[in-house]
Amino acid sequence: MNRDLRFTALKKTPFHSRTSLASRTNKYYNWNGFTVPTEYSTTELEYTAARNGTSVMDLTPMCKYMINGSDANKFVDYLVTRDLSQMEDNTVAYIIWCNEDGKVMDDGTIFKFSNTKFMLCCAVKIYNWLHDSAEGFDVSFEDATDTTAALAIQGPTSCSTLKNYGADDLELLKPFGMKQYNINGYDVLISRTGFTGDLGYELWTDPANAENMWDSIMEAGKELKIRPFGMHALEMTRIEAGFIQTNTDFMAAEDSLRPVRMRSPYEIGMGWLVHLNKESYFVGKRALKKEKETGNSERCLVGLDIDGDKPAVGSVIYNEKKEDIGIVTAAMWSPTMKRNVALASLKRPYGIKIKENIFAEIYHPEELEYKKIWAKCKVVKRQFFSPERRNKVPADLYE
Amino acid sequence: MSGNYDVIVIGAGHNGLVCANILAKKNRKVLICEARENCGGLVEESITNFVPQIPLSVSSSLGGLPVKYKAKSTIALSESGQHIRLVGNQHIDHKVISGFSSKDADRYVEFHDKMSSFSKALGSFMMASPPRIMNNTFSDYFKLFKLGMNVRMLGKKKFNEFARMIGLNIADELEDNFENTLLQGLIAHDAVLGSNLGPRSPGSLINLLYRMATHDNSIFGGIYEIDGGSKAFVDTLLDISNKNKVEIKTSSSVKRCITENDKAIGVELHSGEKIYAKKIISNADPRSTYFCLLGTENLDTDVKRRIKHHRSKGKVAKLSLSLNKQPEFINCDKNDLESRMVIAPSIDYIEEAFNPSKFDKLSMEPILEMKLKNSDQSNPVLDIQVQYASYGAQEGWDKIKDNYVDAVIKLIGKYAPDIQSCIETKTIVTPDDIEKNFYVSGGHWHHGEIQIDQLFMLRPIPGASQYRTHLDGLYMCGAGTHPGGGLTGIPGKNAAQAILEDA
Repeated sequence: MNRDLRFTALKKTPFHSRTSLASRTNKYYNWNGFTVPTEYSTTELEYTAARNGTSVMDLTPMCKYMINGSDANKFVDYLVTRDLSQMEDNTVAYIIWCNEDGKVMDDGTIFKFSNTKFMLCCAVKIYNWLHDSAEGFDVSFEDATDTTAALAIQGPTSCSTLKNYGADDLELLKPFGMKQYNINGYDVLISRTGFTGDLGYELWTDPANAENMWDSIMEAGKELKIRPFGMHALEMTRIEAGFIQTNTDFMAAEDSLRPVRMRSPYEIGMGWLVHLNKESYFVGKRALKKEKETGNSERCLVGLDIDGDKPAVGSVIYNEKKEDIGIVTAAMWSPTMKRNVALASLKRPYGIKIKENIFAEIYHPEELEYKKIWAKCKVVKRQFFSPERRNKVPADLYE
Repeated sequence: MSGNYDVIVIGAGHNGLVCANILAKKNRKVLICEARENCGGLVEESITNFVPQIPLSVSSSLGGLPVKYKAKSTIALSESGQHIRLVGNQHIDHKVISGFSSKDADRYVEFHDKMSSFSKALGSFMMASPPRIMNNTFSDYFKLFKLGMNVRMLGKKKFNEFARMIGLNIADELEDNFENTLLQGLIAHDAVLGSNLGPRSPGSLINLLYRMATHDNSIFGGIYEIDGGSKAFVDTLLDISNKNKVEIKTSSSVKRCITENDKAIGVELHSGEKIYAKKIISNADPRSTYFCLLGTENLDTDVKRRIKHHRSKGKVAKLSLSLNKQPEFINCDKNDLESRMVIAPSIDYIEEAFNPSKFDKLSMEPILEMKLKNSDQSNPVLDIQVQYASYGAQEGWDKIKDNYVDAVIKLIGKYAPDIQSCIETKTIVTPDDIEKNFYVSGGHWHHGEIQIDQLFMLRPIPGASQYRTHLDGLYMCGAGTHPGGGLTGIPGKNAAQAILEDA
């Protein structure tokens, strides 16, 4: 049989002409089939821009699904664990969804335009899951990943930047609100959402508008310390914000080969998103109800404040008897907080009932030698960084 | 209707009736809601031909079931008149087969012994509720261990043989053993009967073992006709129901299950009437039970997937020809005409008949199992099970029905040349008709294929074995559950036991 052996190159996002121009390092990676920069210049610089100015990130590779139909409202409520029946139009909600065993498949955001129109944004592809779930509901789906260009504009001066760009009255938009604009002749949807734990927005538009939008925003933020930032800087900001990432902090249920690696919402600190008293049924409700009633959750995902300044990347966590009680899933030295922080998955009761005498074994590389550090940890709230400006309305403006 | 019930059974098929009566005998107040005007479901003359005997365990838990059976022998018809007549007794069958081939006769006895010991090993497993590994309980593991032991106890050689054969197709095994194509065809016919498999489809052998386990562990034994027909059988069950004070509401189709706190608490009829009970049992097929009674909005996506992928396309139509006189079958005596007559001359013939059905099309040369009723009277009836009459045939049953019936009659004409002149009326019930008239989605005899991924603890779907559904308080007792269809009443009895255990 003759097979076409030409490989398919990674796709370029509609911003590629601009991101590649901005990249000094030519470092790219594969995000969901697209090629996007890991860093443009230096990660530290990009991180600093995100915390002190405006940072711009190409979000196009995120999975985006349009959910339409007369049952769209009912369907979305059935799909996710959170009670969305009272969700207002033109708002966004953070959600997770589970399989029948009540194990988390992914997290994401849902955008509500009306009772018959939603957009779902997530990391893992779930077109198939949506279709199979839809049996009995009058809904249709459209994979809008390739047909929607998306940009994250995050940081303390982001609101001012976007106002300069043409988003009038944006400072009045509440967190998790969204608003439709027409800027430079194109429809642009702006939502006050983000992955940095700071004031920030996400912009959704037609790919034809992408280059124009990028250029205009860069121009608008010229005096406001604007800078594109890549995946590495984003990773730093999201750890500080205590946001979890699928397949990093927990395994997506559909991706785990080993059933014991699957996690319920209660085991990754997402119990607050599970509304068991929701009137209608949702996928995984029976299993989650049982787990809640019997209290047999095995793990928990906590924030750790670790002694010293050496990041505990990949560290194993021990109790005072040196028994293995968990693992660090993400760790960093936080330049803003001046704290050594980490997210860790622990075996209960550690992290829930027992919060003392927990240690991380850190292997710190120092010029071809490892320094082994036995560092004491404190269990703390996962949200390390949450400035007041993040949720302030009206948002801070700068000139 | 007033009064709360302990149990509502949805569907008065024979399993529903068996289940209801066992529960009523344990002092439960039982109501049966039947969508049709008559009870009995698929146990009707227009569907059923030959049946196995109701097992003792079922009839005794009903306090006896006074139904008389007539044992039937089998005749494989040959165009040349060289028919093979088998009665299910090894010595007699050996003698008959040795008339064709002495090698085949010896091999037949060996083959029969082997198959029979396997079906016996499966037997105890067939009668009881299957284990549920997810339960993680000792008794469930013990059940599985016992099955393993039953097979292992056959000895190492037979155990290996069992492992070899379990996924095998029946054609390979028959061709290895026998040289007579008619005998091959006859056994292959019984292996694929009622299923969506051809003789060369993997797994067709376990189908035969499965059939043997409910047919006295014999290939051609355990085939019966009910004295007085299906009606007598259903009437007997209704008499018992009457005695046990089981209430039956006919012409009352159930729209959905009423739930409260994710528990089934009653049913709503299409008329709008609501009836409440502590437990609800569905005699309906798994797809209807899950998608209609439970409701898609109450199911997990994974469960929807499994139900959607549950294979339940019926492949058997029943053709009834009322005749004005007894047709002359070539080289058949009176005794032969009272036997089960099979037209499946060879494995290749069956496979050819099967081929179009893979594409939901119809073969104009199907395989037939026939019963001549009232053969001694002036108005005999020829009942014919026509296999590979696909559900939802691409040709469109409305358009092709008459042609199809003519093709079947033409086929019978090869064995009974005067059949055409004897026919008064012809009635055919296709799988599509079964779906419409009997509310069985797919129109499948067994409410779902009898294949290795839909058997035992995987029947009807993983997570719903042991007669319980995903909804608390809703049970299943139909042919879709273990061990499947056939007039055995075992699913009904086991379901009743499950409910009594949970009470």
